[in-house]
Amino acid sequence: MDHKIYILIVEDELEVMDALVKDLENFEKIFPVETANDTTEAMNVIDYILDHGHKIGLILCDHVLPGKNGVNLLIELQKDEATARSKKILVTGQAGHEDTILAINKADLDHYVAKPWTEQELQEVVRDQLTDYVIENEKNLLAYMQILDAEKLSEEMRKHKMTDH
Amino acid sequence: MNNHQGISWLNDTQAILKFIHKLIHELPELKGRLMNLNEGDLLFSQGDPLEHMYLILEGNITLTRTQPDESEVKLITLGPGSFAGLIAFTTGEPTLTSGRISQQGQALKMRPQQFEQYLNDHPRLKHPLQQLMLNNMIQRYKSNLRLQTRTHLLSKELNKERNDLKKAYAQLEKTHQMLVHQEKMATLGELVSGFAHEVNNPASALMRAAENLIEIYSKFESSHYSYKLFKLGLNAQPVDSNTQRERMLMIEKRYPWIHERSSVRKLAHMSDEALNLIDENRKKGEMDTLINHYEAGKMIHNIRIASNRIVNLVKSLKSYSRQDQNKEEYADIRDGIQDTILVLSNRLKFIDLDLKLHDIPRTCANVGDLNQVWTNIIVNACDAMKDQGALRISTESNDESILVRISDSGPGIPENILPRIFEPNFTTKNQGAEFGLGLGLAISSEIIGQAGGEIDVANKTGCGAEFSISIPIRDDC
Repeated sequence: MDHKIYILIVEDELEVMDALVKDLENFEKIFPVETANDTTEAMNVIDYILDHGHKIGLILCDHVLPGKNGVNLLIELQKDEATARSKKILVTGQAGHEDTILAINKADLDHYVAKPWTEQELQEVVRDQLTDYVIENEKNLLAYMQILDAEKLSEEMRKHKMTDH
Repeated sequence: MNNHQGISWLNDTQAILKFIHKLIHELPELKGRLMNLNEGDLLFSQGDPLEHMYLILEGNITLTRTQPDESEVKLITLGPGSFAGLIAFTTGEPTLTSGRISQQGQALKMRPQQFEQYLNDHPRLKHPLQQLMLNNMIQRYKSNLRLQTRTHLLSKELNKERNDLKKAYAQLEKTHQMLVHQEKMATLGELVSGFAHEVNNPASALMRAAENLIEIYSKFESSHYSYKLFKLGLNAQPVDSNTQRERMLMIEKRYPWIHERSSVRKLAHMSDEALNLIDENRKKGEMDTLINHYEAGKMIHNIRIASNRIVNLVKSLKSYSRQDQNKEEYADIRDGIQDTILVLSNRLKFIDLDLKLHDIPRTCANVGDLNQVWTNIIVNACDAMKDQGALRISTESNDESILVRISDSGPGIPENILPRIFEPNFTTKNQGAEFGLGLGLAISSEIIGQAGGEIDVANKTGCGAEFSISIPIRDDC
């Protein structure tokens, strides 16, 4: 694998960031985690990752961020070709808020996670989304079997083999 | 014969009637026209063509008119010397009224068509009758004038009553809003105190559990490296993402054999003191275990910070909504402003807040109510600025009063609505204010009025609106 697929977490509260990073630790064997405390930093980190030939598989974004709303950031990233395919998850303390609905509609939001989350819930959502991402964007799915949804991946590989013949 | 109509020409009329009586005795054909008036009989009905005209010699005839809504209005009671059917006779049109005998007596009954004839046949009758008719006309003209004046007075009274009613309604509306507002605040207060209790319990459990964990760790030898690492983690300062990245690069160089990115990240979080401690004790334990001691401290640190924030938030929510409504206290109203800002911190996240809360004396005030005023103004400002801009709040005082100024960098308030902004029911927004966020500026104005102060608003030159609130300084509570 010449490129890495990153998970980006955007969250301004450092304690909350700690908790998110800790809960996604297991994915780091294959999907390195990057963090940003505000939207400007997030854009810089994204540029840095893409400039180095890597990809962003998943963006986990806090709802209320200084300077810009998390929803607006996700909408912007959805419009940007470089990040349009990345999976986007809004982490929100205001589930059901009209902003969340806007995000689902406009940013093509893949999922939202309500605060407070549980480790299991967060890991399931991230596993599902990353599985979808690699299926849609990667050729060699075998490498991800260990930590993503193995069943779904093998199903997908079977389909590919059938079409190959 | 003076009756309730106050007829001033009666003297004259009586003389004429006496004369006519005399004539009736002398002229037999006139005697034939004489009829008895029986109380309750209907002489003519409204809308009928006039058949007879009556000159009342004795008794009364009452004229009534039926209104479009079928109700009957009593117009006039005619007494001796009056003509009934006079108007219809003069105009030749159907009668405008109905005539009913209200007191028995006598009348001369004449056919209108033959009236001229009578006058010509009896030249002695001509003059007195003409005089009577004229008197009748004058009397009716006078009563018409009286009616006009009365109508004018009545409509004036009506107007006044309508204005009073309008004022009373506005007052009622205001009181109603105030009551709804108080009810809302009382509900909010109850909700908050219940909520505070419910949240404070788990928050205290969290805090206690964290402290107990720290105690358990401290049971290790305090010089033991694991406890030292734990302690360092406990007191670690949070690291922002940028610093974290830089330190991760440094860690990768310092421990090139560590490939696990999560371990690199954790080490990057550590101070040099902690890293040195790890280096010293690396042979005694697994690297992961060493890191975990530090991590445990960090986690408990996070629990402490987070539970403290919960407790503080609940505290300011409680103090913001002030259960003890309607109660004045000797307070520094800046505390209320601070509470309001904390409660609204979510709305103010993107706002550049400029606080110039200069020292002001304490005063008697209902801080909970005042908080509603700050909330209303601040929320309005945020709406006007679309949650992006600068908000400035300042306090100052002179010998008599405290002055609070709140200004924003929004577009200002359109000049045409500026004078109406404190009116009840005036809004530029859709109905349905968010719960507990007040009912608007009418309430604010009411609250400040009750505090004996004044609220004013103006557009600043340049941009934005500025509210100034003055509250008298008192110590009588």
